[in-house]
Parts: sequence; structure tokens; C-alpha cells
Amino acid sequence: MSNFIPMIVSLLIWGVLWIYVFRLDRRVKELEKNA
Amino acid sequence: MFGKIGLLLLFAWVIIGAWMFEPPMSGVSNPEVYRIFYFHVPVALVTFMAYCLAMYHGLLYLRNRRLFDDKKSSTAALLGTIFCVLATVSGSIFARQTWGMYWNWDPRQTSIVVLLLTYLAYFSLRSAIADPLKKANLSAVYSILGFIAAVFTIFIWPRIAPGLHPGAPGDSTSGSFIVMSTKTWLVFGPSLLAFAGLYYWLYSLSLKISGLEEENLHV
Repeated sequence: MSNFIPMIVSLLIWGVLWIYVFRLDRRVKELEKNA
Repeated sequence: MFGKIGLLLLFAWVIIGAWMFEPPMSGVSNPEVYRIFYFHVPVALVTFMAYCLAMYHGLLYLRNRRLFDDKKSSTAALLGTIFCVLATVSGSIFARQTWGMYWNWDPRQTSIVVLLLTYLAYFSLRSAIADPLKKANLSAVYSILGFIAAVFTIFIWPRIAPGLHPGAPGDSTSGSFIVMSTKTWLVFGPSLLAFAGLYYWLYSLSLKISGLEEENLHV
């Protein structure tokens, strides 16, 4: 099982980046609505 | 829209490919661990590209004196630092599985700390200066010096000093180097493209946000 930890962590990293992208995307939409 | 779908498909392929093919390392007791190579190395390479982009816009600022180039440079460096942190975290987990400890003060680990500190100092410098022109001037020069530091810390120092990473002088594991076979490239290439694409997406969204925030301020 411990052999798979690095890959699982990598997927988490990947997830963090996607969450960040979606947060930024939502912020752009909010700002566009307010503009 | 097509770019986003393409990026999602690319990432889906990387995840499937990273599990589907045999691990990129053979002749070791725990080859499965080496699958992290498909994530750790592209993230580290994108960090370098980001600092290169920061330097490029720093140079453009010094030539054209447009504050938007400074914004582009600092955004590139900020996202590069986020990728640098991710490369450090994934690298230390990789180190725990292969070398037994999260941190070994291997030259590449030491150099990434130096690189992180270099760019943390860059952001401290930026936050310490109120005048936007002075901030942009100093940041542009710093981004060039920072990039020189990045070249030294990523490519030169780890190859000079003896260490645990593959490619270091005196490295006892260099006999069992990552096997860059066609299958490895089939996952590694798209992974590099996917992380670079994701970086670019983050970069363009961040610039768009700062542009819109400025617009809203002036309304």
C-alpha cells in the first residue's frame, strides 16, 4: 500500500491545482458580473 | 472552451497512462513508487518555465516601462512559486519512499529551498515598496537575477555536488535510472504539456482578475 502513497499524493496535488483554477474562474465571473 | 476540454482529456490520459503502463523504473524493490515521476518532474519543470516567463516579462518591462509587464512578471513568479512548493512536497514524499526520509539535504533538495527563499524574498521586496514604478523596476531586475539563481540551483549545483538524485556525481543509483521508453514518453510528454497548460490557464485567469479588479476600481 505504501508504494502507492506517492501517486495518491500526486493526484491530490493535481486536485489542489484544479480547485485553484475553478476558484479563479469563479472570481473572474463574479468580477465580470460586477463590471 | 476546447482548450479546457483538451486539458481535461490530457490529464485523464496522464492519470490512466501513469497507472496502466509498467512503472518507469525497473530493477528496484519498489518500482510502483516511481510512478510519481509523471507528476513530480513535470511540476518541477513548469516551475523553471514559470521563472523563465517572469524573467522575460521583467526584461520587457525594463525595455517598454509598461506596468502590465510587471504584473505579468510577478504573476508568473507567484504561480511558479506555488508549483515550486508542490514539487518540493511531491519530491519529499518520493524521497521518503526511496531514500527512507522526507528530507535528506540532498543538493537538489537544498537547492529547491534556496530557490523558494529567493522568490519569497522577491515577494517580500515587492510588498515593502509602495511606489509602483520603483517596485516594478526593482522587481524586474530581481526577476532576472532570480532566474539566474534558478538555472544554477536547478541545473548546475545538483550536478556538481554529490547527492542522492539520479545524475549527481557519485550517485550509486545512476545504474537504475528512469527508463525513458516510448511508453514512458507517452505519459511523461502529455503530463508536461498538461501541467504547462494548467499553469498557463492559471496565469491567464490571474491576469484577467487583476485587470478586472483594476477596471472595477475605476468605475
